[in-house]
Amino acid sequence: MSALGFASPLVLAALLALPLIWYLLKLTPPKPMVEVFPPLAILAKILRREETPAQSPWWLTLLRMLLAATIVLAMAGPVLNPKQAGLSTAGPLLLVVDNSWAAANDWPERLSAAGQLLDEAEAANLPVSLVLTASDRPDATPQAVAEARAQLTAAKVEPVPANRATLKTVLAEGLGSTRPGTLAYLTDGIGTGEKDATLATLSALGPSEIRLITGKDEAAVAVTAVRNLTAGTEVTASRLSTMPLELPVTAYDRQGRSIASDVIRFSGGERQAKAILPAPLELRNEFARISVGALANAGSVHLLDEGAKRRRVGLIGGDADKSERPLLSPVYYIRRALSPFADLYEPKDAALDKAVTELLAAKPSAIIMADIGKMPPDAVTALKGWVEGGGTLIRFAGPQLAAASASDPFATVPLRQGERALGGVLSWSEPQMLAPLPQDGPFAGLDQPTDVHIRRQVLAEPSPDLAAQTLASLEDGTPLITRRETGRGEIVLFHVSAEPSWSDLPLSGHFVELLRQLVQLSHATVNAAGNGKAEPLPPYRLLGADGVLVAPSGAAQPLNPARDGSGIATLAHPPGLYGSEDGYVAHNLLPPGSTLQPLNSAVPAGVTISRQSILGEKPVDLTPILLALGVVLLLLDGLAVLWLNGLFARLRQVTAVLLATALVLTLALDARPLLAEDGKPGDDLLLQRLDTTHLAYVMTGEQTVDDISRAGLYGLTEFLTYRTALEPGAPQGVDLAKDELSVFPLIYWPVSAAAPMPDQKAISRIGAYMRSGGTVLFDTRDQSEQGLTGDAVTPNGERLRQILADLDVPPLEPVPRGHVLTRSFYLMTDFPGRYAGGPLWVEAGQGTNRTSDAAPVSADGVSPILITANDLAGAWAIDETGTPLLPTVPPDETQREHAYRTGVNIMMYMLTGNYKGDQVHVPALLERLGQ
Amino acid sequence: MALIGETTGPVSPRDALMRARQRAALMPDCLVEARRIANTVISGWHGRRKRGIGENFWQFRPYAEGESLSRIDWRRSARDDHTYVRDREWEAAHTIWLHADLSASMRYKSRTAMVSKESRALLLMLAIADILARSGERIGLPGLLQPLASRHAAERLAQALMVEGDLPGLPEPNGMRTAADLVLISDFLDDPDLILARLKPLADRGIRGHAVEVADPAEALFPYAGRTEFVDPESGARLTAGRAETLGEDYRTAYQARRSYLGERLRQMGWHHIIHQTDRPASEPLMALYNTLSAGSGYRQAGGGR
Repeated sequence: MSALGFASPLVLAALLALPLIWYLLKLTPPKPMVEVFPPLAILAKILRREETPAQSPWWLTLLRMLLAATIVLAMAGPVLNPKQAGLSTAGPLLLVVDNSWAAANDWPERLSAAGQLLDEAEAANLPVSLVLTASDRPDATPQAVAEARAQLTAAKVEPVPANRATLKTVLAEGLGSTRPGTLAYLTDGIGTGEKDATLATLSALGPSEIRLITGKDEAAVAVTAVRNLTAGTEVTASRLSTMPLELPVTAYDRQGRSIASDVIRFSGGERQAKAILPAPLELRNEFARISVGALANAGSVHLLDEGAKRRRVGLIGGDADKSERPLLSPVYYIRRALSPFADLYEPKDAALDKAVTELLAAKPSAIIMADIGKMPPDAVTALKGWVEGGGTLIRFAGPQLAAASASDPFATVPLRQGERALGGVLSWSEPQMLAPLPQDGPFAGLDQPTDVHIRRQVLAEPSPDLAAQTLASLEDGTPLITRRETGRGEIVLFHVSAEPSWSDLPLSGHFVELLRQLVQLSHATVNAAGNGKAEPLPPYRLLGADGVLVAPSGAAQPLNPARDGSGIATLAHPPGLYGSEDGYVAHNLLPPGSTLQPLNSAVPAGVTISRQSILGEKPVDLTPILLALGVVLLLLDGLAVLWLNGLFARLRQVTAVLLATALVLTLALDARPLLAEDGKPGDDLLLQRLDTTHLAYVMTGEQTVDDISRAGLYGLTEFLTYRTALEPGAPQGVDLAKDELSVFPLIYWPVSAAAPMPDQKAISRIGAYMRSGGTVLFDTRDQSEQGLTGDAVTPNGERLRQILADLDVPPLEPVPRGHVLTRSFYLMTDFPGRYAGGPLWVEAGQGTNRTSDAAPVSADGVSPILITANDLAGAWAIDETGTPLLPTVPPDETQREHAYRTGVNIMMYMLTGNYKGDQVHVPALLERLGQ
Repeated sequence: MALIGETTGPVSPRDALMRARQRAALMPDCLVEARRIANTVISGWHGRRKRGIGENFWQFRPYAEGESLSRIDWRRSARDDHTYVRDREWEAAHTIWLHADLSASMRYKSRTAMVSKESRALLLMLAIADILARSGERIGLPGLLQPLASRHAAERLAQALMVEGDLPGLPEPNGMRTAADLVLISDFLDDPDLILARLKPLADRGIRGHAVEVADPAEALFPYAGRTEFVDPESGARLTAGRAETLGEDYRTAYQARRSYLGERLRQMGWHHIIHQTDRPASEPLMALYNTLSAGSGYRQAGGGR
């Protein structure tokens, strides 16, 4: 449809110069760099393989030719879809727009086409007469373009057919005697039938020009009828186009689930087609909506109401004398049970024959008879005819029915005369409950009534068919509800009365459910021929132009199904569902049997109509595009020349370096946040102390004491390294206030009264260290000062008491016999240092002979605290040459050796815990060793 | 875009006078620099006691039957019952022929190189001449200068070059005798088979060769890109490459293949092959050359090593 025009076609002659340009381009290759190159012989061997380009590469020539051609074309001023002749200025622009259902799917395009016409009218300063054929009050009065545009923008597609009938009137009223200039008709293509006079009407206005603007007529497909056949649901659809076409047909249930689908085939030239959706009857009753084709609009969606239509139920059986006492009347219970979801119809006349006649005239779906025993023959005949014609008769038992003869024409099963009483004064039987409702009958899905007791019922004569006819029974198997099919209808009998004297059933919720199910099963009767007195139904859900059900709004009025339901949808009664959630009537766009007819293209002679499509009509000036293309080609040419001259090859290295740098920088920037700086000062020292076991001592702040401590631990370290598998690192002095203590198994604390008292914080840290499994070896180094009695309090002892005052110290005892310390490495009985004789205090309760009852508090049985006064470090202390620094008291090298062994035992005790204490056979071993 | 390579000096091979003058101007510099570099090298080998060739005692060895009695060292032999012969170091001066390719292709110098190949070749030749002359070796230019042993051999060499001017690409085989060394400095860009055919008679004659291949970095790396016309400085042949950068890979492969082929064949002949690029200092090939000369010289072997 698109056309290409040129503003100045003569410029195109310049294209003839292209061959010349090509010749010139071929002649001038880019000038090479001249390089002296001694190893030319080697190069020549390689270059032989490659064809030396003596001229520009072909693609460069092509590029330049393209460039020249583009510029020539751009100069010629190309226009895509060149504009038609402008609007006629003879009169106002008459714009007739079909905003009907068939225009819904390409409405934006239609709007844009109409807007374009309005633009032209604005440019030509023409008034516009805008007629929207599907709106409720079309007005053809010419108006300013701005108003028309506002009106057009506000217009929406209506889910109704275009109103062609009033078009003539509307145009005549609006235009008066004004002859329109250009008449543009944006039509949906649907005419009113064989004698369609739309175009004739329009041309009768005498416009200077008629433009018929059509959209895609494939969209105009409508479902016109849906019928139930024995094989399935027959769907009839109508369309405008005559091309062979296949469209999907899909049926949806009320929840919008697709439950059946088929394909409808339009053969060429046919505007009507039928498809049958094969589905079982139960499934068909679920159909709520049938749609044809992929485009959703009001025509392609057909709403069904068969399953949801409110049933009309006739009610016979009220005893006149019971109307004073309604709670004893069976009709009362039935009325209360059915009124929410059925239209109840009660005859005014109490006489049965007249009542039946009156009821049947109202064409009910079901008739409920409560305790009617005998009927007049006329009524029987009429009722029987109605039942066989498809009616559902629901009967309730009662005293009268029980007393009636066995020849009841509407009995479902042969009944015994009289009723059966359960649980009466003279009866041994108890009132019966209902058995579970059979899940294959009409009551499928209802659970077992547990609150219903049947005290009295009529009994069925046993017969072979009884079981098949029973819909519900008592616990003992007695039928409670039986059914008989006659003709197309059926009779259902409740073997109890409809009031609570015989049973609890009327008071139960199940009464409602049972009746509702039975009424729903009854055939909906089309009341097209009804008396029209039915209540107008309010709009419940309306079908939008896009084929979607929405809540009602706007001008939709209540629908009287008898009067309005069969016609074409109008704005007052748009397609949709009318009624309420419990029952509604579907109102569709097209009545059954209607067809879509195209516009009658026959127009009076002498009127020419130009037809165009709404699509692709906007003229596009291609000059800027071509010029931009030319510039791009020019840039490409420049790049290509640079590339041929090898600029990029030299730039490549620089670029690569830059890219690599950028990449590295990016990575570095990216990587930085990933590496959180979680190091702390002193971490390396901590790691170093973790790597190797170190002996540690508390730096008291007194230089001589600390020196002896370090030398002593150095000596012990040497001794350990020499004698045992433990090879500690260099001794570490520990500042209690700052250093991490938990890395040391043992901290040696020489208590010195002369040193400053550690502050509270340091002592609490020591406490935490002891609680978490560490051990502190306190050494008061004052055995010699304790005098002969040993109970004098020395200054160091006093300081130790001060320190321990705030610590959680377990009960202590001197190392008992059998304690792990006595045999963790060496077998020892006492633990001397520089001085001998002072006891080594440990946590109580760890010896084998249990000198104390206190249980060990610390983990692994290692005492958190060791106290001695023997100045262990003094005995251990050696200088770099291995010479002891201090003499033992008394000067006995054996005592020093024992002091070292004490240190070894303490260290082993620290590191292995009660491992040695576990040994079961230690006593035997000791005995063998002669201990 | 600046050119990558250039030909230093006049292009026309017939302009002998200009070249001679230019070379004369170049000579003193070369000499001085050669001296300086040679000094560096010698100082590096100082303490090897090689002065006074042929005078120093080397070893006593037992007298073998058939040897001249005059070689017996009686003083040593008198000390015990055995008869000893006094061995001395090598006595005869060695002849070393020097030859540098001074053809037009050698006058190439690229941007990355320090000097042209010719300049570097002359420098190397004069420097090695100076070193060898100080060691008392006899130095000659094949076809130009008979071997002479002089402290000022390098000056004599330069003088001869100045007078004579041109040197052919490969040495004249005339006059070269057995048991001489030949130092051949060239770019070896001619057909390797032609070169080897010329050198083969020399090798057959027993001459030990030391081929120093002087190359310009641009020749080895081929840094050209884009549309480039290549000109052979000797033949004047021209070759145009549309996109020179695409040739680089193949060229380098071919270049290295030629070099390794040449080197392999030279080694088969028992010759040394030293590769030098003009963007490297001259002392490197000089050191390598000196090492091969001293390690492989006849008198060294006769002396039994250091």
